Amino acid sequence: MHIIIIGNGIAGISAANEIRKNNSEIKISIISKEWDHFFSRTALMYEFIGQLSRKDIEPYERNYYEKMDFNRISDEVKKVNSNNSLELISGDHLSFDKLIICSGSKPTSFPLQKKEHKNVGHFVTINDLEWLKIEAKRCKEENKEAVIIGGGLIGIETAEILNEYGIKVNMLVRDKWYWPIALNKDEANLFAKHYKEHHINVLLETEAKEFIEENNEVTAIKLSNGEILEVGLVLITIGVLPNTNFLEDSDVKLSEDRFKAIEVNEFLETSHKDIYAAGDCANVTWFNGVRRPEQLWYSGRDQGKIAGQNVLGGEIEYKRGTLYNSAKFLDIEYTTAGLVNFPIDGLEEWYQEDVKNYRSQRVVIKDNKVIGFNMLGSRWNHEVFIKWINEERNLEFVLANMEEARFDAEFSTRFEILETAARYAI
Amino acid sequence: MQSSQKGLLKVYNQDVTSKGKLAWCLSALLLAFYIDLYYFEHFTPLAQALGLQNKWFLYGSLYTIAIIVGGLFFLKKHRNNRYHFIRTLVIMFTQVVFGFTIPFVMKLFLGHEYYFSYFWPLKMDYFYPSYIFDQPLALVLYSFIGSLVLFPLLAFFLGKRFYCSWICGCGGLANTFGDSWRHLSDKSEKAWKFEKVSIYSVLVIAILTTLIVFTNWAIGESYPTLSYYAFKIQDFYGFFIGAIWAGVIGVGLYPLMGTRVWCRFGCPMAALLGIIQKFGRFRITVKKDMCISCGNCSTHCEMGIDVRQYAMNNESFTRASCVGCGMCAHVCPRGVLKLENKR
Repeated sequence: MHIIIIGNGIAGISAANEIRKNNSEIKISIISKEWDHFFSRTALMYEFIGQLSRKDIEPYERNYYEKMDFNRISDEVKKVNSNNSLELISGDHLSFDKLIICSGSKPTSFPLQKKEHKNVGHFVTINDLEWLKIEAKRCKEENKEAVIIGGGLIGIETAEILNEYGIKVNMLVRDKWYWPIALNKDEANLFAKHYKEHHINVLLETEAKEFIEENNEVTAIKLSNGEILEVGLVLITIGVLPNTNFLEDSDVKLSEDRFKAIEVNEFLETSHKDIYAAGDCANVTWFNGVRRPEQLWYSGRDQGKIAGQNVLGGEIEYKRGTLYNSAKFLDIEYTTAGLVNFPIDGLEEWYQEDVKNYRSQRVVIKDNKVIGFNMLGSRWNHEVFIKWINEERNLEFVLANMEEARFDAEFSTRFEILETAARYAI
Repeated sequence: MQSSQKGLLKVYNQDVTSKGKLAWCLSALLLAFYIDLYYFEHFTPLAQALGLQNKWFLYGSLYTIAIIVGGLFFLKKHRNNRYHFIRTLVIMFTQVVFGFTIPFVMKLFLGHEYYFSYFWPLKMDYFYPSYIFDQPLALVLYSFIGSLVLFPLLAFFLGKRFYCSWICGCGGLANTFGDSWRHLSDKSEKAWKFEKVSIYSVLVIAILTTLIVFTNWAIGESYPTLSYYAFKIQDFYGFFIGAIWAGVIGVGLYPLMGTRVWCRFGCPMAALLGIIQKFGRFRITVKKDMCISCGNCSTHCEMGIDVRQYAMNNESFTRASCVGCGMCAHVCPRGVLKLENKR
């Protein structure tokens, strides 16, 4: 039996590990061209700034593939044929008994961006990192500013590292405030104070209308408000889409929306019986019935593990319970659990903020039961929040027991209800 | 922001903290300094010119300055975290008071000094009968009860961090002056295997040495051969483990191998308290499913523990070698880790 895994990211390596854990004999091949070793994509920013080295962002030692007996193929897949075979860019053909596609995401392209623009790029792959190291150096030497287009998590992370690197950063955000899917207006204001303190220039409700170029280099950007911003470096961080181009002519069915994600059932099986998909590229059912890819690190890992078991004949369902996530906006840590920014009728909120210390806590309530938490500037254990949501606790109980969910370092000041705390309907 | 790291560390972008030329030069300089200090007398005239009783007080002053200056730099970066804030102040206080001032004043007025922050088996001399039984009874009790009762108890309830990252001068220097080199510790499995053999060997040697020296004290007069070997082993321990390893190698290799070479591979106290810690209350709790495998925790672990493997697998853990400095939790961008004393 020969199992091929396309992709060497968290989903792919988790699938491979799971198969090997259950079977020491099966031939496992992993195809990926990006980098010889499994690495943490989320850590690219730390390598750029010098907080981590390349080896540090590789979770396993470099002899891992030999140790686990994984056959590592450095190539790209051109086409998946219906007769259980693959065509690679190098011209090679491979046949498989089972295939797991973990091809991940690719950055969403920006309409104004052209291939020949050498100072315009993304920050998703190892190649992007190498490109940014060169372009950032040049931008700094020429004493120019950087523009980041897009106000998501990668946007703020690249803003942080370029700012620390010594380049003046301008960030174009289309929305009324930074990351409205995660933060409400109050929280966004709190964060705005923080990024202003870091001298990051965030332009809200502003879009790039035109790139002014010279010798394949974007030298200025005309903004939607008519202003012209001179630039040395442009980063496009408007999100990622499933990396599934190579499947367009195959019998692996893709979603019909703009995502073109691989359609899978609850067992992560695709429309082809021997092919599974896991991670960013797979279209899964969300808690509210919506079908969309789930582009998170831990869901990639979980899906990879499940695909790895099911490919061996297991029948494990992929189910996503209460939503939760965490992030870091510059120095401010963020934890969320449950439903916090969903337009549902009859919601109430309890909110308090300590602006001086960049801390805020928001609890969302429906029918007197807590359904969501959105916390900035301190550490919380989402597992406790999820437990409270599942137990349908009321606000009074939650506020009285808040210390139980605290995850800050020892000696941190205790959770306090401030005078400005308020409960209101939204 | 009481737990999260403020700003970013740029250790790999600087020559002196990324094994560049400057790091090699500094390491050579430190090695030369220690060799000269231990085996020659070049520093004695300088010490006397400064009004210090001997070269060891000159060393003590330099050591204290390094901890204070390094501690202030550390606080500048990490003071938002109250665990680090309090811990670093305690390190600086302990060094100034117990590591320098009290011994200095004692020497001045009593003619001999005592370092109250050091205990057996780290400070072996304090347990040698020839030394300890010349001391007042209170000191004998202090040393015995501290080493054999109080410290094991504290290690059980708080983890060995109470000593290794709060009180001990070796740990104090590592976490202040040496802090910018902490990421250079070796994280490989090979290093872990070596560590287990090496540190427990030193512990066994330390215990054997103590036993032999005590036996010799009790019955040595009638056994001249035992006496001969007891002095030999005592000498060997002092020379090889106490001076070469703890001093010369331990600090000299900071810029190349990270700050805890001695604590990790050689300190018998760390070994002993580590075994107790393994059965005690201290642990690092891992928050479920939040780890993004970035590697900040493992990289910035001065003891070379691959923390990330535990975090990735949602496993709360206690490792015997962990000195509880708290840096893994501090640098984690997702707040996955927490140091705790739990039942």
